[in-house]
Amino acid sequence: MATVLSMRQIEKRFGVVKALDGVNFELEAGEIHALLGVNGAGKSTLIKILSGVYAKDSGTIEIGGAPVELGSPAAAIAHGIASVQQHPELVNDFTGVENIFLGEEAGKPGLGGRIDRKAMRLAAQKLLKRFPIEIDLDRRVGEMPAVDREIVAVLHALRREDIRILILDEPTSTLTEREKASLFQLMRSLKAAGIAIIYITHRLEEVFEIADRFTVFRGGRNVATFTSRAALESGVSIPELMLDEKTGDIFPPRTGEAGGEVMMEVRGLEKKGLFSDVSFTLRRGEILGIFGLVGSGVDELSKALFGVIRPDGGEIEIQGKPAILKDPHDALKRGIFLVPGDRRTEGLTLSKDVVFNTTLAHLGKASWIGGFLRFGRNRKAAEELARRVALQPPKLDRPVSAFSGGNQQKIVIAKGLYRDSQIYIFVEPTVGVDIGARATLYALMRELSKKAGVLVISSDCDEVHGVADRTIALYKGRPIAHADAAPSRDQLLAAGIMGVRS
Amino acid sequence: MTDTFKLPPVVLRLAAFVGLLAVIAAVFQFFAPAYLSNGNLHALLRHMSVNGLAAIGLTFVIVVRQFDLSFPGVASLGAMTLGFLLATGYSLSASIAGGVAIGLLAGIINGTAIAYLRLPDIVTTIATGGVAIGLSYFYSNGTSISENFFMSGILDLNDAKILTFDMPVVILACAAVAAGLILHASRFGRSFYATGENRVSAHFSGIRVKAYVLAAFGLCGAMACLAITLLVASSGAANVSAGSQLLMPAFAAVYLGAALFGAPSIPATLAGTLLMSAMLNGFTLLAIPYYYSDAIVSTVLIGAIAIFDPKLTATLGNLLRGRTAR
Amino acid sequence: MTVLSENVTTGRSRPDFETFFVRYGLFLLVLAAFLLFAWLRPTFISAGNINDMLRSASIAAIMFLGLTWIIAAGEIDVSFMSVAALANMIVAGLVAAGYGWPLACLGGLLAGVVFGLINGGLVAGFKLPALVITIATGGLAGSIAAAIGLGTSISLSSTGFVGSVLHANIGIVPLITVVVAVVYGLSYVIQEHLTFGHYLYAMEQNRAAVVEAGVPVNRILFLLYILSGTVSAIAGILLTADLSSGQPYIGSSYFIDGLTAVLLGGMALKYGKPNVIGTLAAVLLLAALLSGAALLGWTDSQRQIVRGLLLLFGVAVVVWARRKNRAHI
Repeated sequence: MATVLSMRQIEKRFGVVKALDGVNFELEAGEIHALLGVNGAGKSTLIKILSGVYAKDSGTIEIGGAPVELGSPAAAIAHGIASVQQHPELVNDFTGVENIFLGEEAGKPGLGGRIDRKAMRLAAQKLLKRFPIEIDLDRRVGEMPAVDREIVAVLHALRREDIRILILDEPTSTLTEREKASLFQLMRSLKAAGIAIIYITHRLEEVFEIADRFTVFRGGRNVATFTSRAALESGVSIPELMLDEKTGDIFPPRTGEAGGEVMMEVRGLEKKGLFSDVSFTLRRGEILGIFGLVGSGVDELSKALFGVIRPDGGEIEIQGKPAILKDPHDALKRGIFLVPGDRRTEGLTLSKDVVFNTTLAHLGKASWIGGFLRFGRNRKAAEELARRVALQPPKLDRPVSAFSGGNQQKIVIAKGLYRDSQIYIFVEPTVGVDIGARATLYALMRELSKKAGVLVISSDCDEVHGVADRTIALYKGRPIAHADAAPSRDQLLAAGIMGVRS
Repeated sequence: MTDTFKLPPVVLRLAAFVGLLAVIAAVFQFFAPAYLSNGNLHALLRHMSVNGLAAIGLTFVIVVRQFDLSFPGVASLGAMTLGFLLATGYSLSASIAGGVAIGLLAGIINGTAIAYLRLPDIVTTIATGGVAIGLSYFYSNGTSISENFFMSGILDLNDAKILTFDMPVVILACAAVAAGLILHASRFGRSFYATGENRVSAHFSGIRVKAYVLAAFGLCGAMACLAITLLVASSGAANVSAGSQLLMPAFAAVYLGAALFGAPSIPATLAGTLLMSAMLNGFTLLAIPYYYSDAIVSTVLIGAIAIFDPKLTATLGNLLRGRTAR
Repeated sequence: MTVLSENVTTGRSRPDFETFFVRYGLFLLVLAAFLLFAWLRPTFISAGNINDMLRSASIAAIMFLGLTWIIAAGEIDVSFMSVAALANMIVAGLVAAGYGWPLACLGGLLAGVVFGLINGGLVAGFKLPALVITIATGGLAGSIAAAIGLGTSISLSSTGFVGSVLHANIGIVPLITVVVAVVYGLSYVIQEHLTFGHYLYAMEQNRAAVVEAGVPVNRILFLLYILSGTVSAIAGILLTADLSSGQPYIGSSYFIDGLTAVLLGGMALKYGKPNVIGTLAAVLLLAALLSGAALLGWTDSQRQIVRGLLLLFGVAVVVWARRKNRAHI
């Protein structure tokens, strides 16, 4: 087969962080090539360079043997590279056909063109003939199931006939098993039409089902490329390839004091379509880790434990008392604090200063009777908390937006410390946090666990394994490993990305 | 991460405000020597009281990042309710309470529709404002009411003095202090701001965001009716179009203040109102008809929004810094 | 394999009562209003009254055309009625000063275009918040209108060629109504069959998707504000002839009517999306309401309350219909 794309010695830095460190990557015409790797391994950076969103620092890209510069998304498309984002932008009230040809309804650009619905339908039919797939494109996109929306987005990307490379970024993360089959059917027909597909996924079993080859990324390098068959036959351990060797030193030592008083008991918690049958016990003095990929239901689980969404079934007991959490206000009153996954929209008031943010979750403590704020005391409290979480720089009057990601996370934790809760839930605690601040955050979690129960929920397997005393993996909304066991790193990873019970 | 545009400290902003005020005063003093006379300053502050009260109410709504276009209509309804109650022989305090209660009720209706039923704020408040104006006609078929006004003592609201201050100014000062304490020195103020700046994070911090949106609309309605009470007191009659003159000055004051001080707040709104009143009073003194002054208010409003806009502020700031550096 | 259904059978056209009610309810309401008023006051359907109603409805329909599309695109304009008042006063002022109707009309039209440019420039160009900007430009237009007449109205002795056009009839139907019908027909074609209209609705729903598809969203917005300024000015010019005077405060009576017409009209046909046919139907409803209310001896305030409640009702139905629509995704 002919090599359609070849990338050599690609490097990309973000500040001091080397996101890509001499990556080599080759793609052949008509193959489905999966990219594997944990968060931050470099997959996303690579495809963003390929689709013209980021500029590479050095290295060469050749398409069909000729060197190219992909300076902008438009340039990438002109070179025959189309990409479908994880959450494609679609107009809900328009039909599938209308969405596929959005911006090209009239044959000519501009605002005065007459919409040629017949031509659009013909073109849609032609697309479906090229890439046979079962879909009703006359339906409103808003009424379509997730997979059909994904298919519409793929067809939108492929409406130009000269597209030779298609990038799919985790297209299956929100799909059900049956929906996945229909997306794979489309991918096979694209492949048959000679289009090469780069496919990012976290789910290993999908790789063997659909991909011809796969490349594993780790720490900004491509560490291995296999054909799926060869990998199956040789029985190589992919989790081992994905995981970094030198970890552990940023994690605080386990105290080994697990087995304190039960802080939270969850039995059979369920939210239809998101997670089900989740049970665990969280004790004072320990960190319980839950590992789950994006779309596995972990984020929703954390919100159900904080009263943001109501579960459909199951029970939550807090310190021995059954509890129905009405809203976050209620959850906070019962001693639960959530350090949310999306700290910029869910955790912080970015335009306000540190004192404002640290006291926000416990305004009762921050004020006298009558609701008047105790300015001096709050400032002192914020100062002390800033010291405790090692806020850098410790400038309390700055708007929170002016701090780095790691320090913003420290402010959210300071907010939680101010609340003096009995149960702390951390979701994706170190996304966008540099390595130095990560060690501080892990140490803080350990310190918190002395007086409270700490739950760490993350899609970073190393993090969950490194920081927690006990771990559970959530796979497609269902818990896999048993909570009492402390599985090894690859056992945990295998459970989370393949659903393999250890 | 570096700041793209460093906001100048409060002192600089205050200096800018005082400077602006001085320029306005100097210009008018030049054309109308009576401008800085004792009598005129009293008139200026009385004028400011009415707009200031309405603007303070609106500030709460703007802080929670919503819009209220109904308060002029609601104020008219409040004025007519007040006039009707006075004419029927109720006591002054009961009548004022009745007028303000109508405003509060209208605000609560707005807030319920917007926060709990999730109707769009702009259109909803336009509609409720329209209904309020319609209702205000019912008391007297649209004619103005002034019976019993002299006896009731409502005129004293305008004419009485406490120490050397006019009654309206005292009322504004009290309202401003109360609103300022709520918005800037209490947990409730924190919640208003948190709701406006980031509703999701406020919800996650245990703040009942819907209740605060409701409260903001309620306060806005009540304050508009309190403002109109002073206007009724100064004109000696209640009429159905009384509220319509509140809309633009209130928006202009809030936006002008926010532009000067970087964010909407009670002191900023007062500063904005003072600037607007200083200009409008000057025009009155020069016998410039109201329709010209309306044009000035709207032009100032456009300018204030443009300056309030962070993108434009950043560009302007860079320009200014470039100039001082040279 | 290839499944492109021959008949478009989607949830939207499923023949159940609720969807029918939402889609065609407004037309039934118009019909009901006409029948009710005709039954209560037979003079309601006299030739003269029909003629008057159609004429005033036509002027309103012209004024609300731009507003319909601005709201359809997810923006707002609350200056349209003041721009109409300004054009109205400019024409009256110029005619009174002896400049003649053609020049005066040009002057009024120019004012509309200028305010369209200002609104468009500030909202589409500088991306300032549409509501407060148009409150301010509306205030500016209104005060200039008042200043032209020094605070009072200007009455005219003749209505010039505009008057002849306005009062020309074809049978009992005013000529202007025929013109409006043609304009709205063309607008319907633009809205439904040209990319311009297509993008309006796409913009309202997902501006990011439309921008990504390479559509000049800001240019659309800019054009919309110019359109709104222009049609408002035309309506203002016609009002000068209709009232044989310039009325500086004529705008306020069109404010709530405009928003009611557009949002109530949004109910019709397109599930809560403002559209020209809906606006036209709603304008007829409001004209019938005005005329019928006058015949029944309702006061202005009663009519005002009915209009306000209609607007609230329209908004509630639109929000409800959309939420329901989204709910079964």
